[in-house]
Amino acid sequence: MKSRVSIPRLALTLLLITALAAGALSAVNAITQERIAAIEQEKILEAISQVLPDGEDAQEVALSGNTGLVQAVYASASGYAVQVAPSGFKDTITLMVGVSPEGAVLAISVVSHSETAGLGAVCAADTTAGQRFRDSFVGLTGSVAVSKDGGEADTLTGATITSRAVAEGVSAALAWVAENG
Amino acid sequence: MDVKKMFKEGLLTKNPVLVQLLGMCSTLAITTSLFNGIGMGLSVTIILICSNVLISALRKVIPAQIRIAAYIVIIATFVTIVDLLLQAFLPELSENLGVFIPLIVVNCIILGRAEAFASRNGVLASALDGLTQGIGYTAALVIMCVVRELLGSGTFGGGILGGGEGIRILPEEVSALLMIQPVGGFLTLGVLIAGAQWLVRHLEKRKQEAVKK
Repeated sequence: MKSRVSIPRLALTLLLITALAAGALSAVNAITQERIAAIEQEKILEAISQVLPDGEDAQEVALSGNTGLVQAVYASASGYAVQVAPSGFKDTITLMVGVSPEGAVLAISVVSHSETAGLGAVCAADTTAGQRFRDSFVGLTGSVAVSKDGGEADTLTGATITSRAVAEGVSAALAWVAENG
Repeated sequence: MDVKKMFKEGLLTKNPVLVQLLGMCSTLAITTSLFNGIGMGLSVTIILICSNVLISALRKVIPAQIRIAAYIVIIATFVTIVDLLLQAFLPELSENLGVFIPLIVVNCIILGRAEAFASRNGVLASALDGLTQGIGYTAALVIMCVVRELLGSGTFGGGILGGGEGIRILPEEVSALLMIQPVGGFLTLGVLIAGAQWLVRHLEKRKQEAVKK
C-alpha cells in the first residue's frame, strides 16, 4: 500500500468517481422525480378535501411576504384550507386547517409529523382518541388554546407540547383568514 | 471461501449489531414495528452488497490515500438511489424510516465492511460478505422489532399484517409504552447482546469439549 501516487492522479481518480456517481444519481432522479412530486401533491389534496366539504375545487392562493407559520392557502366556496407548520415535540407538524369565511374552524387534518408514538402521534392517529382531539378544535374562533392553558380545545394525555403546537398552528391559520380572508 | 462459515459469522459470531456493535443509532431508533425492521434491514443489505461489490471491483484502481473519500462517495450514491426509489415506490416506509435512510451513509456497518473486507477481497467474496452481514443486521433488527412491538403496543407485524395496525396479541391496557420509546430500545438491545454473548460462549465451550473427547 506504500505506492506513491501523484496528486493530480489522486484528484483525477476522485473526480472520475464523483462524476460517475453524479451521472447515476441524475438517471435515478429522472425516473423518480415525477412520482415523488405526485405523491406529495396527492397527500396535500387529500388533506384539503378532509377539511373542506368542496375541497376538490379549492384553488391555491398566492402568498406574499413573511407569512410566519402559514405555508400555503387553498380557497374554495366553502372557505379556506390553510397549511401551517408549527413546531411540535421533535419536528415541525404540518397541519391542514379548514376555516370558514366567517373565521371558524371547520376541521383539521395532520399532513405529516414525527411526534412520539403513542403519545403525540395520537394527534394524527385514525383512532377515536385522535378523532376526538381533532374534533375539539371544530367551531373555535380567534386565538385557540388547549384546556391545560384554559382554552377550549382538548389536551392530549402526555403530549402537552404537541397539543399546544396544534393549537398554535390553528391560531395562525385563523389569524391569516381574519387578516386576508 | 467458506460460505457456511460466513453465514454463521454474519448471523451470530460476528453479527454486525450484536457482536461488532455497529450501526447502533438506526437499530435503537427504528425498531418499533416489524415493517420498519424489515424495510431498514433490506435497504441496508442492498446498499451493503452494492457498495461492497463496487469497492471490491475498484480496490486496485483507488489509491490508498483517497480510499475513504472514494468509499463515502460510492456509499452515498447507493444510499441516495435507494432513498429516491423508496420515496417514489414505498412512500409509507420512507415516511416511517424518515431521516434514518439518508443516515445509512454514515452507518458504520457499511464503511466498516468496505474497509475491513471489500478493499481486501475479491468481488464474489465481497458480495457474499455484504449478503451475510446484511442478513445478520436484518435478523437482529427483526428480533428487536418483534420484542418491542409485542411489549410496547401488544401487536405483531405492525405495518404489514392486519391492515397496517398489526395483529393484536396483548390487550391494549397491558402494553408498556416505554418499550416503544428509546429507553425500550436500549433495554431490548442490552438483553439481546447478553443473549448473543452467552450463545457464542456456549457454542465455543461445546466445541472445545468435543475436541477434548
